[in-house]
Amino acid sequence: MGHKIKVVPRHGANLKDKLYLPAIYQGMKITFKHLIQNVSDSNGVDTLEYPEEQPGDITDRYRGLHRLTHREDETIACVACFMCATACPANCIFIEATERKDGEDEKMPKRFAIDTLECVFCGYCVEACPCDAIRMDTGIFSLLGNRREDFVLEKDQLLAHKGAFGEENSRARK
Amino acid sequence: MSLASIIVAIIAFALGALLALLMIPVLVWLERRGAGLIQDRLGPNRTNVGGFRLGGVVQSFADVVKLVLKEEYYPSHIKEHRWLLMLAPAITFVAALLAFMVIPFADNITIDGESLRMQALPVDYGVLWFLAIGAIGVIGIFLGGWLSHNKYSLLGASRAGSMMISYELPLGLSIVAFVVTYNTIDFNAMVQWQSGTVLGFLPAWGIIVQPLGAIILIIALFAETNRAPFSVSEGESEIVAGYMTEYTAMKFAMYFMGEYVAMNTASAVIITMIFGGYQLPWVSTAMLLEHFNYFAWVIMLILPIILYFVIAWMRKNNSVRPTVISDGSREFEAKVLTYAMIGMALLIEGILLYLTLSSDAVLGTAIAVTLLQVVVFVLKLMLFNLFFILVRWTLPRFRYDQVQSLGWYYLLPLSLLNLFITAIVVVGVN
Repeated sequence: MGHKIKVVPRHGANLKDKLYLPAIYQGMKITFKHLIQNVSDSNGVDTLEYPEEQPGDITDRYRGLHRLTHREDETIACVACFMCATACPANCIFIEATERKDGEDEKMPKRFAIDTLECVFCGYCVEACPCDAIRMDTGIFSLLGNRREDFVLEKDQLLAHKGAFGEENSRARK
Repeated sequence: MSLASIIVAIIAFALGALLALLMIPVLVWLERRGAGLIQDRLGPNRTNVGGFRLGGVVQSFADVVKLVLKEEYYPSHIKEHRWLLMLAPAITFVAALLAFMVIPFADNITIDGESLRMQALPVDYGVLWFLAIGAIGVIGIFLGGWLSHNKYSLLGASRAGSMMISYELPLGLSIVAFVVTYNTIDFNAMVQWQSGTVLGFLPAWGIIVQPLGAIILIIALFAETNRAPFSVSEGESEIVAGYMTEYTAMKFAMYFMGEYVAMNTASAVIITMIFGGYQLPWVSTAMLLEHFNYFAWVIMLILPIILYFVIAWMRKNNSVRPTVISDGSREFEAKVLTYAMIGMALLIEGILLYLTLSSDAVLGTAIAVTLLQVVVFVLKLMLFNLFFILVRWTLPRFRYDQVQSLGWYYLLPLSLLNLFITAIVVVGVN
C-alpha cells in the first residue's frame, strides 16, 4: 500500500479537558484581554469611522462606478458596438447609436445609460469592450439619490467620471 | 406602620423596580458594545441626542422607540388564542422581574428603633420566592412556542422546558446546600452570615465556604436564563430563533427584555448568595455604622482619585480621531460630562463632610450607610452582568445532548454529593 498513516491526536480524554473549566478560563482570559485593551483605548480599535473617515485601501482592481473614456481630443471613445450591452447579464446598459460626423469613426452613441440599480458590478462590460471605452476604475463605491431615476447614469455623467488610478484616456482609440 | 416604614417601603420598591427595569437598556447597550470591543470592533456608538452620545447608550432608547412603533403582526396561520400568544412573553418578563424583587439592596435600616427591610418585597422567605417565581418564566416560553404553530418554535420551547427540568434540580440542590450552611431562607440573613470571616482572614463568602456549590449554582443559573453557552432553545443555527421565531415588534421585545431581566436577576442571586451581596468584604453593617467616620474619610480621599482617572479615560476615549475633523460635539459632550461628574463628586464630598463633622446625625449616618451598600450592590451587579456578557461572547453553544448529559450525569450527582458533605460538616461542627 505504501500510504503514510497520519495519527491525529484526539483531545478531550484527560481530566483537565473533561473538566472544561480550565478551557473556559483560557478563553475568558483572551476575550477579557481584548476587552480591557479596547476599553482603555477605543481609538486604537482598527475600524473605520466611515462617513467621516473614507477607505484608503481601494486598489486599481476594485470595480467601482462605471465611466466612459475619452480619446486624446476629448471626444467619446465609444463606437456604439453594443458588445457591452450584449455581455451584460443584468441587461442594464441602454445604448442608442447614431452616425458620427467628425470623421474619427462611423458610429457613436446618442444615448448611453447604465441603470446602476440593476447593475451587478460584474465587470463583463469592461472585458467585452473592444475600444477600452467603458471602465470601472473610478474608485466610486457610493451613489446617492432620492428617486429611482437618479440612479440611471446617462452619457454625460459617465463621461464626467474621472479615473482614480492615473489612466484617463482610452488606450484603444487614439 | 409608622411614617418612616411606609417611606422606606416605597423607596425600596422604587429602587427595586428601577434597578430591574432601567438596567435593561444599559445591559443591552453593554452587551452590544461589549461584544464589539471583545471582537475588536466599536459597537453602536453613533446615535445621539443633540450631540450627546453617552458612549452609545442612546441607541437602546432608539431601539425601544423603533420596536414600540413597529406593526403588530400576527402570522396568518395563527387562528386562535392570539391573546395568549401576546400574554406569553409578558409571563416570562414578569416572572423574571418578580424574582428580582426579593433581593436585598442594603442591610436593614434602623429608624427610631424600627428595623426596616431594604427589599422591594419585604419578605423573609426570599429563596423560596425566587425558586417558585423564577421557574414560572419557562411557562411563557412554552406557551409562546406551542401557540406559534411552528416546528422550530415548538422545538425551541421543548428544549427550554426540558432544560428547565434538568437544571432546576442541581440549582435547587445547590441552593439547599447553601440554605443548610447559612441556616436560613432569607436572602438578607444570608448576606449577614457572609459578612463574617473564615479561617480568620478570608471573607466568609459562599464561593469560599462552598466552592463546589457555588460553581454548580452559577452553571445552573446560566442554564436557567437560557443564555450562552446554554442557549439551545434559541439556537439560531439550527432552529431559526427557537420559541421567538414567530414573534415581532413589542412581543419579541418582551422576550428580549425578559432575557436581560432574567440575567440581571441571576446576577443578583449569585452575588447575594455567594459573593457577599451588598457587603464590602470584611466589613459588616455594624462595623460600618460604628466606624462611619473612618469610612467616610477614606471615601472622601478615594473619590477624587477615581474621578480623576474616570475623567482622564473619558477625555481620551470620547475624543475624535485625528483623521476625523468634522465632529465638534465630542469635546462639548466631554466638557459637560466632566462638569457634571465634578459637581456630583463635590455634592457627595459635602454630604460626607457634614456627616463626619456633625456629632448627632444618627439617621443621616444610617441613610448614608444604606446608600453606600446600594452602591456596592450595584457595582457588584454590574460586574457580574459583565461576566455574563463575557461568557456569552467567549464560549460556543453546547449541543443539546451535551447540555442534557452535563445536567443529569455531572451536575446532579455533584450537587447531591455537595449536599451530603455540607450536611455532614454542618452536623459535625454543631
